[in-house]
Amino acid sequence: MVPADSPVRELDSVSVRKLFLGRPVLVNGNQLHPLRNRSDALLDEVFFQHIVAMSDSNYDRQILIGVNRQLALRPVELNRTAEVVAALHADPNAVSFMWQRDVGHNPELRVIRVLWSD
Amino acid sequence: MRLSYLLLLAGLSLCSPLARGDPWQYELLLMPSAQAVGTFDRQAPVTEIVDEVVQVDTLFTVQKGPFRLFGEYLLSDHEGDLERFQLGWQATEDTVIWIGRYHQPTSVWNHDHHHGQYLQTSVSRPFLDEWEDLGGILPQHFVGMLIESGYQVFGSWRLRVAVGGGLAPIITPKGLEPFDLLHPDSEHHQVGFQARVSLHPGGELSETGFGLLAASDELPTIGLATPPLPGLDHADLKLLGAFGIYAAGDWKVLATWYQAYEKLCSPVMCSSGNFGVGYVEAERHLPHDLTGFFRWEESADAGQSNYLKLFPMMVRQRDVIGLRWDFVARQAVTLQLSDTNTLNGHFKDIRLQWSAAFL
Repeated sequence: MVPADSPVRELDSVSVRKLFLGRPVLVNGNQLHPLRNRSDALLDEVFFQHIVAMSDSNYDRQILIGVNRQLALRPVELNRTAEVVAALHADPNAVSFMWQRDVGHNPELRVIRVLWSD
Repeated sequence: MRLSYLLLLAGLSLCSPLARGDPWQYELLLMPSAQAVGTFDRQAPVTEIVDEVVQVDTLFTVQKGPFRLFGEYLLSDHEGDLERFQLGWQATEDTVIWIGRYHQPTSVWNHDHHHGQYLQTSVSRPFLDEWEDLGGILPQHFVGMLIESGYQVFGSWRLRVAVGGGLAPIITPKGLEPFDLLHPDSEHHQVGFQARVSLHPGGELSETGFGLLAASDELPTIGLATPPLPGLDHADLKLLGAFGIYAAGDWKVLATWYQAYEKLCSPVMCSSGNFGVGYVEAERHLPHDLTGFFRWEESADAGQSNYLKLFPMMVRQRDVIGLRWDFVARQAVTLQLSDTNTLNGHFKDIRLQWSAAFL
C-alpha cells in the first residue's frame, strides 16, 4: 500500500519484488522507497513467500549481494504498524504492506495490491 | 581526479534540488575475514603467492533521490586502500552512471564479489581476476566513468550492458599499480576502456546468463630494472573474452575465457604476442549448510608471452577444491586446497578461512 497522494496506481509482482530487494523502481521519474513491515511473524512469512519469493537466508544474501554490487539499499524495516503508517504519511513515494485490518478506513492510505488472504 | 573534487560533487548532488524531498538513505556493510595459509611441496625459489591473511572490507552507501555516494575501504595486514569510491546518478530505472574509482566490468568474478570474502564461495579468486597488488596480471581498478544499464529483450530476457573508461594502472617493479585516489598521481596513467554485454534468460533478477567482454589498455612501464624488451616504456593490452553462468537449484557453474593481445613497445621497436587465460568453477549446495566447490584454471601460450614475464607470480594452471560451511547466519568457515603451477615453479597450499558480513 501507498499514501493517498502517491503517484503509484498499481505495481506488478516483479516490480514489488525488485523494490523489496532494494533495487531501484521508478514511477513518473520518482524513486519508490520500500518500507518492510516487521510487526508480526506471520507478516514475515507472507513477505518471504509472496513478495520476494525466497527464503529468509536467500533474501539476506541477495541484500548483501545488492549492497556489495552498489545496486541496492536494504529496505527500511519498521517493527510497529503505527510506525509504518506514520512513515507512509511522511513520504509520498513510500510503499509498504500490512494487514487489511490495520488499514481500516484510513483515507490517507491506498491499497494497490492484495498479496495474500486466508 | 582528486578525492576532494569527488566529495565536492557528491555534496552538491546529494543536496541538489533534484534530490529535495527525498529521504536520506544509508547503508554500512562490514565484511571481515581471517585465514590461515600453509604452502607445501614447493618447487623453484619463488612460488608463494602474496596473501592478505586478516582483513576488513567496509562498504558504505549514502543516497538521496537519484544520487548515490558509494565507497569501499579495505583494511588488511597487507594494506589500507580506498578500493572503490563512486558517485552515481540513477538516470533511469535501468541505467546508472558512475564516476570515480571502480572495478572494471569485464571481470565477471570481481563484478560479482568485489573484495568481500564472505560473498565468494572459495577462499581465493581465479588468478586472472586477482587484484593488482596481489600479483594480478590484468588491470582491475580504474578511475573514470562507468555506465551500467539493462534492457528487456526477447520477451522476458534481460540484456545487461556495462561500459567504462578511465585511468588505467601503470606497471612498476611491484606490478600493476592503479591510480590511488588518496595519493593521486596522474602523471603516467593512460585511459583504458572496457565493455561487457550479457543476456540473462531468466529476467532482471536472474544470475544465469552468458556474455562477451572487451577491454583496451595502454599501460606505461616505470622503473623496470630488467624488462623483457630493452627500453620498454609501455604495454598495450587488448582483451576479448566470453563468459557463462548457470545457477539453478543446488548448482552454480561459471566459466570465463580471455584472449589477450599484447604489444610491448620501446622507443625503437615493438614486440607482439598473445595468450589466453580462463577458468571453470562448479559449486554445489549440500545438506547441513555446506557448499562444495571445484575450480580449474588454465592458460594458453603463457610461457611465450613477454607481457606475462612482467608478473613472476603468474599462475598458468591451478586446481582448487574446497568446502564451505555456513555455520551461523552471515558467518562461514571455508577449507580450500590448491595445486598451483606458476611460470617458474609449483606448490600446493591449504587455506582455512573464517568470513562474515555485518549489516
